[in-house]
Amino acid sequence: MRLALRELLRRPGRFVAATAVLTAVAVLLMFLGALLDGLLSASTGAYRAQRADVIVYSADAGASLPRSRITADVRSAIDAAPGVAETGGLGSVQLGARPEPEPDRRDLIATALIGYELAPSGLPDQPPPPGEVIADDSIEQEGVTIGDVLLLGPARTPVTVTGFVRDTQYSGQATLWASLDTWREVAGANRPAQALGDGTVQAVVVRTDGDPTELAGAIEAAADNRVEALTLADAIDELPGVSQQRSTFNQIIGVTAVVAMVVVALFFTLITVERTGLYGVLKAIGASSRTLFLGVAAQAAVLALVATALGVVASLALAAVIPPGSIPFQVTPSRLVTSGALMLAAAVIGCVFSLRRVLRIDPAAAIGGSP
Amino acid sequence: MFLALREIRRGLVRFGMLAVAIGLLLFLVLFQQALQQGLVTAFVGAIRNQSAPVIVYGIDAQRALQGSMLTPDVEQQVLAVDGIGEHNRIGETTLSVRVGDAADATEASLIGTDGPLGQPRELAAGRAADGPNQAVGSSVDFAVGDMVTVLAPDGGFEVEVVGVADDVQLSVSPTLFTDYATFEAAVQAFNPDAAEIPASALAVAPARGVEPAELVDRINDQVGDADAVTRADAADSAPGVAQVRQSFQVILGLYALIVPLVTGLFFLIITLQKARALVLLRAIGARSGVLLRALFAQVLMITLAGIAVGVLLALPLSGRQIGGLTLRYDPASVATWALVFVALAVVGALASLARVRRTEPVAAVEPAGGAA
Repeated sequence: MRLALRELLRRPGRFVAATAVLTAVAVLLMFLGALLDGLLSASTGAYRAQRADVIVYSADAGASLPRSRITADVRSAIDAAPGVAETGGLGSVQLGARPEPEPDRRDLIATALIGYELAPSGLPDQPPPPGEVIADDSIEQEGVTIGDVLLLGPARTPVTVTGFVRDTQYSGQATLWASLDTWREVAGANRPAQALGDGTVQAVVVRTDGDPTELAGAIEAAADNRVEALTLADAIDELPGVSQQRSTFNQIIGVTAVVAMVVVALFFTLITVERTGLYGVLKAIGASSRTLFLGVAAQAAVLALVATALGVVASLALAAVIPPGSIPFQVTPSRLVTSGALMLAAAVIGCVFSLRRVLRIDPAAAIGGSP
Repeated sequence: MFLALREIRRGLVRFGMLAVAIGLLLFLVLFQQALQQGLVTAFVGAIRNQSAPVIVYGIDAQRALQGSMLTPDVEQQVLAVDGIGEHNRIGETTLSVRVGDAADATEASLIGTDGPLGQPRELAAGRAADGPNQAVGSSVDFAVGDMVTVLAPDGGFEVEVVGVADDVQLSVSPTLFTDYATFEAAVQAFNPDAAEIPASALAVAPARGVEPAELVDRINDQVGDADAVTRADAADSAPGVAQVRQSFQVILGLYALIVPLVTGLFFLIITLQKARALVLLRAIGARSGVLLRALFAQVLMITLAGIAVGVLLALPLSGRQIGGLTLRYDPASVATWALVFVALAVVGALASLARVRRTEPVAAVEPAGGAA
């Protein structure tokens, strides 16, 4: 092991090419992961922020806010379900926004105005007064500041931004959090076909002191199966595209890890072939196959760690260079650690291919002079 | 050449592993390119493959049909623009439907027009819808004869699929093309509170002698709240399409970077390992050209074997559906990527070729034996 590490220190040049390839693979793994995290974060922020245990949609809405409609009588049934501690209505409308000084601007800011009753994390318990909104801070990159008036939709309905909240994007858009009254007014003015009557909301968020899964069942039963109640985690998974994006990206990340494994296998198989004579001598003077293989594995692990470190630096640099709003790219510590672990595993598994060759080396060959 | 082949035969495992690595990389590239094409088609197929040369959205829509709304006032202003030949209203709503007796409901986009403009340009089977409650469906989601129930909280209604068209999904959702009355009925069924049901967009054909791009400019110049675009631009500039393309370009670029690194690394190590043999070959009269050709032949053979592995891995996925997307391999892009891989492999092997070229026969009689 010490010999192997010393070789790395004394002759780093022979490992440069393999490290370069592994670094490229590490960057690729981290880039793919950051892209997935960015996509998921931009799609699910508004749901992850909910301080609720269950979200209730109308039965045939397919867990989609715009396709859901909960009337006042259905809501009463939900409120009366056993285990319900608190409920709040939720309504959304996606609209383009213009800063007030530019009412005829053609390049609009994509926003989703969400009316709420039960405050998600980071929002005041009392929803903002009529005509006021608290905006997701991603809108700051459009130059929007506190006190600015945004004109929403074709009707140019004015709303004033009175604060910011973090990480609450919805469908890749900046959210504007408002009262249900403001939502109803804005939706009615700009999307008359989607405007819901008084007392009707798109969904209901529910808090409980008990088990959310049991509560979901109780709510569906109480509302005569006119609703679909999902735990918050299930509701996030059911958001359009979330599970598909996750499974597709994870498959690509998996195959990329296999490529890393093949690269390591290739490199260390060649290195082992090259060192057959040397290993023969080492075995002849008492080194075991286990010691020799551990040396190879240690070298592979160090290479993977160096590649991971370089990959982390490259990913952070990419995150700094990519303009906000262009590619959904989010570098998270957990993703970097996972990618590093994947690289390490691929490297160790990859060098197992050399094990067979190490085991086959005959120490007697060292005496014979021919490796 | 003989030398190159013989060496490959003797080191099948190591050369095989390189071919597998190249094959896996090509498979990943082809898979992701097919995924990108499938994603873009599923995002905007309904726009790209509809019949109107020009689409007029509300400016607030930012070119998303689902977010578009034309007030009657804006609609009148657009129709007053000189150069419009034919036009039809387009209405879009996203709703829940149940196909036949299926247990689960699914999301679908319903696009209604009050005439032929805006309907799919070509049908894969069946006929065009010619009355209320009839639809042309996206072929990956519906079959001719399907009865589709439009679900609504207070009761829905049935639509019969009378035709299907390829590549006409919208936002990766099943799509139904109907007449305008069916669209209005669907909106009303879902939301009886709807105060009015404005058109989402206008499908426009220019008058004789007017180019689509010219008409687009006229409409945009004269109607501030309208956003006219040609069919191709409408598809290419739809929200999300550019980001999808950009993201995949970066990913494919990174994979392309790995190919020369892998082949370069492999052949450099191989060349260094056999440096002594190369010196001897040069010493007994082998020309450097012969050795270079042998190395070049190896690079080509292994890369071609890798390409074969990659194509064989990718082929079974052709036509398969992944997450609602149809994967298709365009032969031209497969051929292009194969050529790119060969070029990248040769670039990667340049260092090895240079090393072989520098091999001096005199090193064979030097004390160190000329080993590199």
